[in-house]
Amino acid sequence: MDQNQIRDIVMDAMRTTNLARPAESQLEVSSTGPIFGAASPLDSLGLVALLLDVEDAFQSRGFDVALSDASAMSRTRSPFRDVPALVSYIDSLMSARP
Amino acid sequence: MSDPRHILITGASRGIGRALACHYLAAGDLVFGCSRGASDLVHDRYAHFSADVGDEDSVDALFKELRGRIGTLDVLINNAGAASMNPIVLMPAKKAREIIEINLLGTFLMTHAATRLLRRSRAGRIVNVSTVAVPLRLEGEAVYAASKSGVETFTRITAQELGPFGITCNAIGPSAIKTRLTQGVSDKQMQALIDRQAIRRGAEVSDVVNVVDFFLRPESQLVTGQVIYLGGIG
Repeated sequence: MDQNQIRDIVMDAMRTTNLARPAESQLEVSSTGPIFGAASPLDSLGLVALLLDVEDAFQSRGFDVALSDASAMSRTRSPFRDVPALVSYIDSLMSARP
Repeated sequence: MSDPRHILITGASRGIGRALACHYLAAGDLVFGCSRGASDLVHDRYAHFSADVGDEDSVDALFKELRGRIGTLDVLINNAGAASMNPIVLMPAKKAREIIEINLLGTFLMTHAATRLLRRSRAGRIVNVSTVAVPLRLEGEAVYAASKSGVETFTRITAQELGPFGITCNAIGPSAIKTRLTQGVSDKQMQALIDRQAIRRGAEVSDVVNVVDFFLRPESQLVTGQVIYLGGIG
């Protein structure tokens, strides 16, 4: 799976997450959109909901991806800070598989 | 009759875990049990997995297999536990680590993995098992009670974090009860514990089942982050 496919799945999951979010705090669904941090409407629980939706989206396509990271809540180093960082992180997880 | 629930119980091969498995099988539920060893429980709605809840790889393998069988989990009962009655000075570090890994880390690992399936349930439930050794501050049970104190705090914060997904998380603290974990406790010590209760009798497994049933009821949606001790201790 290449990064473009990963990005498409992530953005699908963001749309799913938005269905359960109020109109005034929708995630920006774009290839460069922020996910967690000052520019994002997500709090920590919202981030959890999104990442579980992302895991579900991959699982429904036959891929087991577990998104947990010690720097998840870091505003600067979090692999969940924006779409490019998340795509890159998932790509690294999938590439590391035996 | 309502749809059968999908229930996962750790430490299900004996004692309280096995009794809970039999109880929910009798209620018509689909029950998955795990323990480090095998189980001789045979039922067409029961499946047993060999897993070490304190080991991340083992828990990952368990959930990979579970996801292959079910898409939703309704209940997780973190019952697996380890104990060793020993004064702090005489407690080997290796044993202390094992107790903490099974009781506290195991509860975390199972909750961490199960949340993915529990959130698809209409009424996800997590029940953890604590002990009256926490409020009683029992001598000789420092590591065991400390690990269960951790389970209680973990229970309360899990309730906060998973509440938005409609998942409740509570704990039960059984009072003096005859199980494998308490087989090293003498009758005299058991009676001394019972004498500290408001209701002075030893607990039966059915007393534990009763509280777990209460936590699992659909009407208990607002009951979360609670620890219920048997016998009037707390």
